[in-house]
Amino acid sequence: MLHSCFKFNRVILLLCIVFLLQSCYSIRLMNTEGERQPDPVSERDDDYRNVSVVEMDTTLTIKATTSIPTFLIKKIPKCKSGQLHTVEYRNTFGGVLLSAVTLGRKRRMKIKYVCVKPSN
Amino acid sequence: MATTITHPKTSWDTLHNNGPFPLKTLYVTELAGDGNIPVKIDRYNDATKEMQRLLKETANSGEGFRAYGSRWSMNNIAHHKDRMHFNGFMNIHLPIAATDCHANTSFDASNLFLFECGNTIKEISKQLSSHGKSLKTTGASNGQTIAGCISTGVHGAALDVGSVQDYVVGLNIITGPNSEDNVYLERHTEPALNNAFAAKLNARVIRNDKLFNAALVSLGSYGFIHGVVIEAEPRFLLKRYVKKIDKNVALKLAKTMDFKNSTFKIPEETDAQGNGNRPYHYKIFVNQYNDDSEYVVELMYKKPYVVPYEDPFPIIKESLYRDLIYVFVKIAEKFPKRIPWLVRRLRKTILPTVNEELIGTVPEIFWDAPYQGPAFACAFGIDHTNAPKAMKVLGDLTVNEGPIPGIFAMRFVKQSKATLAFTKFPITCMIEIDGVLWKKTKRIMSITEFSRRMIEVLKQHNIPFTIHWGKTSDWAFPNLVNDMYDDASIKEWKNFRNGLLSPAMSKIFSNDFLETVGLNTKDLDNSDDWIVSL
Repeated sequence: MLHSCFKFNRVILLLCIVFLLQSCYSIRLMNTEGERQPDPVSERDDDYRNVSVVEMDTTLTIKATTSIPTFLIKKIPKCKSGQLHTVEYRNTFGGVLLSAVTLGRKRRMKIKYVCVKPSN
Repeated sequence: MATTITHPKTSWDTLHNNGPFPLKTLYVTELAGDGNIPVKIDRYNDATKEMQRLLKETANSGEGFRAYGSRWSMNNIAHHKDRMHFNGFMNIHLPIAATDCHANTSFDASNLFLFECGNTIKEISKQLSSHGKSLKTTGASNGQTIAGCISTGVHGAALDVGSVQDYVVGLNIITGPNSEDNVYLERHTEPALNNAFAAKLNARVIRNDKLFNAALVSLGSYGFIHGVVIEAEPRFLLKRYVKKIDKNVALKLAKTMDFKNSTFKIPEETDAQGNGNRPYHYKIFVNQYNDDSEYVVELMYKKPYVVPYEDPFPIIKESLYRDLIYVFVKIAEKFPKRIPWLVRRLRKTILPTVNEELIGTVPEIFWDAPYQGPAFACAFGIDHTNAPKAMKVLGDLTVNEGPIPGIFAMRFVKQSKATLAFTKFPITCMIEIDGVLWKKTKRIMSITEFSRRMIEVLKQHNIPFTIHWGKTSDWAFPNLVNDMYDDASIKEWKNFRNGLLSPAMSKIFSNDFLETVGLNTKDLDNSDDWIVSL
């Protein structure tokens, strides 16, 4: 009886940890000018429906010489104007924990971005 | 060269999920880069050739063709089951020079611009702002393309301005695959551009008021609208107020449009004698589930463009968290009797905040729509003198035979010259109910059934009406178009369409929507004789 109760508590604890690690917040930067680059074949039904969105979900390993990791936004393949319209940054408790444990050497990165529709 | 990618597809849907509808092929055209074709008008003409190639390909396959931009219409008006063309990347803009204007024009060249079909209202506003200009009005939103707006008659609430098509002064339409199937239309009584400019577009000029008025609101069926010449105006500001006013006063204003002698006044918006000024925009929000003695109204007054002014975005960006509303609608499907309660709970997110004030330009005030998920919107055009009666009839229907998860609003728009504009009354009151799409259950009728009942009760009460071409309705309702427009207008619209298009192209540019409303047919007149330049 005591054993099964202990097992149950462990499952609950594990679920709590998983939930905690996944808990997140998002911040979105949005350009008030310009139209978002459309994607007529997109099947998305979230906030990015009908637009061309680039998603980056990765863990970076930072070198000691790197202060701020920098990504370059290139026209090809999905940013025809080369100008950013929207950037959404998502952080999780797990990501913060990973960064803290590795003293900032590993950083979890979840970013979505949309470019400005090219003008003619 | 402009390039087109062909995507095999099985279905297509509107932005607000009013479909899905079947589809075989999706074309996506992108213009040549300015590195390859540096002159804009050459890129524009290059795109004309590409469109004619696609039309030839479609004709050879024996299939139909329909262009679309932002998918904002809430029915199948922009759909074709065979081939559809996404034109959102076709967004050239050209300011018009004085040397391009017709000798007899009354337009100021600095206000004229040619926009290619795929320019959205937001893009157009941005380009105009860089010239110190503004659109006269929008659809109170900014995502639709210019060709989509005018084809369906998109309107705002600018009661002395009209709809989007009402500031269009020229149309470049591709009517077929051959070089001569490229026309530039204007009114002969209000010419804008000279023949030399049309020649630069390789277009045949036809100046004819009636043809132009018919082609303005074309339901996408007069050919491929490649370019639209609009008349802008110097940039201005709008001061927006949200007030709660007595129901009877709000409805009296709806009926009379007499803001000067109304008991309702905004102290800052009166003349030297203390009479109320006429607003640019008047909108009444009506919660049919609420017995309050007051309505929330939104008024906007036109002001000169003076900088600096207070940043409007802190208020504008407070978008609604509509996912919550979506959840509530799912509950409403199961428990429809709770809809009035839900609407009351959601009033703070559905309605603007009372006594809120802000000032900004047209593109700032009517910024990005916060919600783009599943939605419906039914909108009826009523002569404003019938507006209170029509509102009561439709409100009662919604309460007694509903409830329906949405609330009403009334907007007021100046009469359009377009032959089949739904803003056909001297001042049209657009009574609209917007909400989030629901599924029919045993307890709640379908959106089509609700739409049908709205048509029936308006007819029962002898209230003349029109319906917004781009919104939800029971479009298969018998004789609907004949109920909305007189025979002469319908005949004229059909004759100009059949005169402008060859029989083969008339079929290619038709679609299920046109067939459903019965506007695809040809009368016995020799329509070819109608296409004359005056």
